[in-house]
Amino acid sequence: MGTRLSRRHLLKGLGGVGLSLPLLEIMLDGKAFAQAAPTAPKRYLVFFDGQSIGADGDPLANDFVPNTVGRNYDLKSAIAPLGALKSEVSVISGLKIPWAAENGGVIPAGGRPDNFHVTSLSPLLSGVRAPSGTASAGATSDQLVAKAIAGSTAFPSLTYRVQAEWYLSVAAPYGRDMISYKIDSSGRVAAIPPQTSPRQAWQALFSNFVPSGLDAAAQKRLELELRSRRSVLDLVRGDTERLVPKLGAADKQRLQRHLDELRDLERRVATIAPPQTSACMRPSDPGADPSVGTPQGNNGTDNTYAQNLGYSGEEARANLFVDLIHLAMVCDLTRVASLQLTMFQSHLNMYALTGQATDCHELGHGGVPGGTMALSKGIAWHVKHFARLVQKFKDTPEGNGNMLDSSALVFLMEGGHGWDPEGVKGNSSHSTENMACLLAGRAGGLQPGQHVVAAGKHPANVLVTAMKAVGVTGDTLGEVSGDVPQLRVA
Amino acid sequence: MRPVLPLILLAAGCTGSIDGPATLSSAQAEEVAHSGLRRLSRVELDATVRDLLGDDKARARRLLPPDSTDPFDNDYRQQTASGALVEAAEALGVELADVTLVDPQARARLIPCQPTGAADAACLRAFVETFGRRAFRRPLVQEEVDRFMTLQPLAVEAGDFDFGVKLVIRAMIQHPAFLYRVELGEPVSVGLFRLTPFELATRLSYFLIGTTPQDWLLDQAAAGGLDSKDGVQLAAKRLLADPLAREQIERFHALWLGYHRLPHPLALTQAMQQESDALVDRVVFTEGSDYFTLFTSSDTFVNQTLATQYGLAGFTGGAGFQWTNYGAAPRKGLLSHGSVLSQGVKFSDSSPTQRGIFVRNRLLCQEVPRPPPGVNVDAAPTSSSPCKKARYSTHASVGGCKQCHDNLDPIGFGLERFDREGRYRTTDDGLPQCPIEGKGTVVGAPAGDLAFSGPDGLADALIASGAFERCVVTQVFRFAQGRREDALDVPALLQRTETFKTGQRNFQALLLDVVSDETFGFRREEEVR
Repeated sequence: MGTRLSRRHLLKGLGGVGLSLPLLEIMLDGKAFAQAAPTAPKRYLVFFDGQSIGADGDPLANDFVPNTVGRNYDLKSAIAPLGALKSEVSVISGLKIPWAAENGGVIPAGGRPDNFHVTSLSPLLSGVRAPSGTASAGATSDQLVAKAIAGSTAFPSLTYRVQAEWYLSVAAPYGRDMISYKIDSSGRVAAIPPQTSPRQAWQALFSNFVPSGLDAAAQKRLELELRSRRSVLDLVRGDTERLVPKLGAADKQRLQRHLDELRDLERRVATIAPPQTSACMRPSDPGADPSVGTPQGNNGTDNTYAQNLGYSGEEARANLFVDLIHLAMVCDLTRVASLQLTMFQSHLNMYALTGQATDCHELGHGGVPGGTMALSKGIAWHVKHFARLVQKFKDTPEGNGNMLDSSALVFLMEGGHGWDPEGVKGNSSHSTENMACLLAGRAGGLQPGQHVVAAGKHPANVLVTAMKAVGVTGDTLGEVSGDVPQLRVA
Repeated sequence: MRPVLPLILLAAGCTGSIDGPATLSSAQAEEVAHSGLRRLSRVELDATVRDLLGDDKARARRLLPPDSTDPFDNDYRQQTASGALVEAAEALGVELADVTLVDPQARARLIPCQPTGAADAACLRAFVETFGRRAFRRPLVQEEVDRFMTLQPLAVEAGDFDFGVKLVIRAMIQHPAFLYRVELGEPVSVGLFRLTPFELATRLSYFLIGTTPQDWLLDQAAAGGLDSKDGVQLAAKRLLADPLAREQIERFHALWLGYHRLPHPLALTQAMQQESDALVDRVVFTEGSDYFTLFTSSDTFVNQTLATQYGLAGFTGGAGFQWTNYGAAPRKGLLSHGSVLSQGVKFSDSSPTQRGIFVRNRLLCQEVPRPPPGVNVDAAPTSSSPCKKARYSTHASVGGCKQCHDNLDPIGFGLERFDREGRYRTTDDGLPQCPIEGKGTVVGAPAGDLAFSGPDGLADALIASGAFERCVVTQVFRFAQGRREDALDVPALLQRTETFKTGQRNFQALLLDVVSDETFGFRREEEVR
């Protein structure tokens, strides 16, 4: 995948074009970006919404899945923000993650225990059955894809989260706040804590970029700054390497993890920023992050739900992260990203987002009538941001088409609607029956814009389809095998 | 900003020698606790930066990923390095380097010489040595200093001495010797190490004042002042006299009892925190009285908002806070504060179950098992009656639920007359037809089942339970050690509990007991988990 062109190689290829190169790129001894790749790189992205598709006890099972099957499906309220983009997005319904009770009390392959919250995480994202009450037991699809297609991009993957806090007074339990897991250098499954600051994400992605229109003196200062940064990191990394062998076994493991991250950072910094084009540009500084809110609660006067707590400007954060992911992929800084919009069992206050004075999780337990419609309003907020990214990809020309041609973008949710083996009742939001997801992009022959009923399939089967579309070999994700062939051009 | 003390480099400090008399008996050696590499929490980092560089902008809290709080924020077994962490550490270094030298006075305090120009290597070296000793909490060895000096040519190139200083600050702030509390020590036997005096000083300082060792403490470490138990005690007493110790002990209680963050509007949250901080301060520091006074005090420190909220007739008015007697209000001590009564909320109301879990977990140090399969914990209990008591009684009628809920709900029902903001009530919210009896029981305490009513009664029940002292001691251990206890720690905890009891439960004495334990200056290497 993606032979990287060295700087020299690139220069040779451009020989005689008379391209003026900024001084710093010549002086830096880093790897150059492959700007002249003959075909666009493949891109893979996982969006996550910590909700189920239908509410408790509501005879209206969901307002997400279209009535019609195939192309030009009808838009229900939960996915209404897709609008005309529905021709670029497929809806896959009828998915299911199996559970222990239907397998004689033993968690089946790719399945979960009977209790609900967070137990769908592992099978949903990694295809590996969930141990009780813990996070992912396997590497997640984004990390497997990154391993296959990242090449020498500066960021093998981006891991971002929009919901800034758990919004209760203790930390989010059992990995509810993370959706990416990799196999680390010791061979263990390791969670990747996401970046939650758009400002820092911006800085990490674009600090290497040279602002245009610098005079010679400014360029020299910048070049010195970049070299200094590399020297400082080199020193810190070197000292960390010296320290690791002096530690006991457990501490060695801890610091090794830190060292791995330092090496990644150093490698990113050593990579020369790509030349800026009309599409790949250093965006302006997003400024300070929206301030982080306090835990959700009541309003202190009349015991009603406080509309201003439990919220950290997630609307602005989502917009910024979507912009950054899009630009990072345009510039080929990365080819893989995961964006967790809300946590599993999210306590994000929905008031500023949907006008609903409750937290995201309670939307699913709102009761009847109207529970599912209220829940769908919350889902629609998530879908809106997914749609915004799809639109940006569509609006970015590449080759003879646009960025969607080389992409597979997936939108996943925590649960479906149906049987709850824990509560031993049907019509529940605590269910992994009737799950649904969205898939955009045309990479590898994907054919978006259809509603596919994949009855009996596992959500991981959709991920396998998307992974194969961007060039991952094999036909499995964790313990789940097979894809959903209808999603591809026949 | 606190003044930065002038630095005295003692010859002994430069050698890093750890000659000292401290040895362990074989019985003591068996009790040395496991300890691992601890990263400074965000709060510790901010305090450290404040003391090193005079910057009080709490940048770590803005830049670094949040620490896990369960309930303490310093559990190193929960810490994971991530890309977000190393990027944040780099950003922290850059920000600090940029702001630190702007103020000429601050600059003069940091740089121990007058540079003759950008190429003044001797002066930069002096800065690396003096600042390095404070940042790494130990003297740097020659090779380390040399490595930092490799940054000097960049300063020459920039034609700016300060540029070199900035690069050194950047490197040190993201250096593992700064971000982590590295304890190498000297091997005593297999897996057992004696801390160097500098590592010991660091342990003392972060435990008692939540920040980096001040210069006097590093100087004492260098001069052998911490080589004896008496020396350690003396240093600990001096730390406890520092105003930062009050902040640290307030923070311990706020984390332990969950009120470091509260789900209320800012003014109310701050008032509640101030009330609780004041009582902790009074009991532990101002009066140094029996620690249980914290739970039985008839006075509390409130402003008009809280006095109204609690219905305290004794509050004489005015804009500020004042010590006020509870009078006829059925309250006493910390458990009656809005800060603690805010704990255990679910379904937009106080939850008898959640409050029961809170009391078991935090105040009795008992683990409550997760609900078994077949329970939807996201659905509020229901019954034909709208009253909470009747609704929660379904817990007792469903098989499988009863066993656990019998241990939990009766505790919470004993607190039900106090709502989730600490107001007194006699009926369920919005349901005048549902009177609240407000009677509860702590089932299965070592002293037997204990009936109580209200937070004042709960305080008495806890004190009578026979389990409370040990839990206090255990929570202090977790906070000090940065992890939960394991089997190896139990004998020492039991011993410390006895000492706490016989010492009239003086909390400062408990803290001193932790640090003057013969094993405090040692560490046992952890097994790979």
